[in-house]
Amino acid sequence: MKIIVCMKQVPVKDSLLKIKDDNSWVHEDELNYEINESDHYALETALRLKEAHGGEVVILTMGPERVKEAIKQGLAKGADRALYINNADFTSIDPMTNAKVLAAAISPETPDLVLAGLQTDDNGSGQTGVILAENLGLPHTSIVMEIEKLDNGIKVKRELESGWFQWIELPLPALLTIQSGINQIRYATIKGIMMAKKKEVKELALSDLGLSGADVAAGSTGLDFQKVYVPEKTKQALILEGDPKDVAEQLADKLKNEAKVF
Amino acid sequence: MASSEEPMKSFTKAMFAGGLEQDIVFPYPKMDPDEEENLSMILGSIREFFKDKVDSAEIDRTGEIPAEVLDGLNELGVMGMSIPEEFGGYGFSSTAYNRVFEEVAARDASLGVTVGGHQSIGLKALLLHGTEEQKKRFLPKLASGEWLAGFALTEPGAGSDAAGIQTKAIQDGPDGQYTLNGSKIWITNGGLANFFTVFAKTPVGEDGKENITAFIVTRDMPGFASGREEEKLGIHGSSTTELTFDNVKVPQDYVIGPLGKGFKVAMEVLNSGRLGLAAGCAGGVKRLAAMSAEYAQNRKQFNTAIADFEMIQHKISDMVVDAFVAESMVYLTTGLIDRGDVDYSIESAMCKVFASEAVWRAANEGMQIAGGLGYSKEYPYEQTLRDARINLIFEGTNEVLRAFIALAGMQEHGEYLKKVGKALQSPLSAMGLLTDFAIHRIKGRVATQRLEGISEVLRAELGKFEEYAKDLHLVTERVLGKYRKDIINQEFLLHRIADMAIDLFGMVSVISRVDSLIKEKGQEKVQREIAITKIFCEEAWRRVRRNSRQIDNNIDDLRKEVALGTYEAKGFAVDFVA
Repeated sequence: MKIIVCMKQVPVKDSLLKIKDDNSWVHEDELNYEINESDHYALETALRLKEAHGGEVVILTMGPERVKEAIKQGLAKGADRALYINNADFTSIDPMTNAKVLAAAISPETPDLVLAGLQTDDNGSGQTGVILAENLGLPHTSIVMEIEKLDNGIKVKRELESGWFQWIELPLPALLTIQSGINQIRYATIKGIMMAKKKEVKELALSDLGLSGADVAAGSTGLDFQKVYVPEKTKQALILEGDPKDVAEQLADKLKNEAKVF
Repeated sequence: MASSEEPMKSFTKAMFAGGLEQDIVFPYPKMDPDEEENLSMILGSIREFFKDKVDSAEIDRTGEIPAEVLDGLNELGVMGMSIPEEFGGYGFSSTAYNRVFEEVAARDASLGVTVGGHQSIGLKALLLHGTEEQKKRFLPKLASGEWLAGFALTEPGAGSDAAGIQTKAIQDGPDGQYTLNGSKIWITNGGLANFFTVFAKTPVGEDGKENITAFIVTRDMPGFASGREEEKLGIHGSSTTELTFDNVKVPQDYVIGPLGKGFKVAMEVLNSGRLGLAAGCAGGVKRLAAMSAEYAQNRKQFNTAIADFEMIQHKISDMVVDAFVAESMVYLTTGLIDRGDVDYSIESAMCKVFASEAVWRAANEGMQIAGGLGYSKEYPYEQTLRDARINLIFEGTNEVLRAFIALAGMQEHGEYLKKVGKALQSPLSAMGLLTDFAIHRIKGRVATQRLEGISEVLRAELGKFEEYAKDLHLVTERVLGKYRKDIINQEFLLHRIADMAIDLFGMVSVISRVDSLIKEKGQEKVQREIAITKIFCEEAWRRVRRNSRQIDNNIDDLRKEVALGTYEAKGFAVDFVA
């Protein structure tokens, strides 16, 4: 089974984010980065599938130069090779653009399975994976917790709400977005780390992907990124008046339909 | 110093003899960039592993390292770091090995001692002097961690005095087989290891004179046994036992190194092994500094965080300075090992003494900052304090090492002076040596050796180093002239001389490291490192000066009198109420 795992580097959890003066983004150069949490689990899932059924695990990463460190970590854990797209010049970084570029990199590889983390810890849109599946024309399912290989496809367990799960069968090739915490992530061993250096990291330019600058320019997807700001605090107090029974009814109604606490 | 076998250069020996070998300690050694990159990933893995899997307090409480933890370390590859790739290991440089070891030991001392007992000393003799055949047979198992190793030197009557070894190996069996009898005590990994490097007396040569030889002994040999686990103050999770050898048959090809040269092998192993210990201690100081700074910032008294009080700031600053200096000394010395052409025996002993005392100071002050809470078992300070204490004792007590530092430092110059003395009896035949000596005298008395090309901002510190390096040399000449051979009994002086050398080596280590940092990153980026250098050097040169002045002007006789009086009285003879 040939599996491509999409991985992203995100700021370390609990980073202190400072917004740029022009509100265009946060100051990135003061941050430390780590592999997005659910992407770790996607990689682990891929490595386990490979160990059980054979095949190849390929990491696909997009980002500035620093993300090569994430690639090395993935290779050290056991991935076979990596594809890397430097997006330092891209002015658009929304999920639509990302999915478009990633799809162009994945297509020629014709993988059996594409795995992505459920969502990223920075933007948290949870969209890139599923848009990517659409772009690739692959069946997909999200919030996957378990994968079983069948003779003619896979059977996956996905998480629903309130402790409910769903088992679905999909044909291959397919794309799955993987939930965090579903397995025990392995540590990169000294052996793996020393071998990582010998593995192939293929750097792909836009032209290699059949894309041009216009495809990754701000506004090219119709999404307009306007302003980054700290949520503004608004305090509101509402005083309910009337006889106790009436007030209680109003209160229950507001808690249920406005605050949605039950 | 004409000799058939040119001894390797030593920075410290040269300093004692009045020279400064700049090229040994400048520029500060730099790791191979590829190895450095790997190393930082390996450290990341180790940190994750420890965070998820290692409960140090639990190891302390139960006195056992869970199998899952040892298996995990094996899987990570920690047990084979220093073993060459051809024998199943990873062929780390000394710097990389010690840096990873530091991380392990600083996070859990029991694990540090177990890994160090295995790799810093247990299998080191095999690595240094084993035959190809021995290496092929044992190293792969040791690299994977399937087998642990132990180093068995200490006996009831032979600790620091290895010559007192009673364990005997007699070559009396078929095919040159040896029969081993005796016992060893305080053996790290005694209850866990399958492979031991055992030192025993064996008759060597025609006259049958007994000398020490190193042997491989494996747990499965009939007659081998390990005793019960010692109950210790700290490092509870590490295994420390007695080993007994009751007519253990050891094949002839299990001898490590030349017959009768076991003492040299043991010293060589310990010279490098001590660095691991020092690296672990340096890591311990770093960890304590971070822990204490965090605690001080959270703990409020008198409506303010105790971190705001200057007495606390003094302690935190001391810890950071100690950590930085210890680290600088250790990785300068591992760099010397990696370059392979210098003698690092004194430097490694100095690292061990400085770092073990630094971690003890830090454990002590860390507990003080944490106050009553630090004394409670709920918090890690008391365990850290207990765990830290052994470092001043094992792999050469700090007292024995101080004597070694001073005597080994002075030895070369002593030999030189002895030759000059002889030459004076027949001056005509030894004009060259005497001229050399006369020039040396003039240089030593008048000129101070200078180091070139060091960053201007460190000029004052460097000046003090140069000045007091010369002072160490003058002290050496003076005490050698005065005491000659009897210098070995002048331990009050040896203590001061060793401390002078340690402080000077600390100074030159930080100056070298920070000088390289300044050149690499620019002065503005390393302001804190420069401040640390200034703090340490300021305190160190004053200590060196005090030690130097007290060589001739001291109260040693009074001290001796009080000690001897106490021995004689068989008790505390100056009681308030008897």
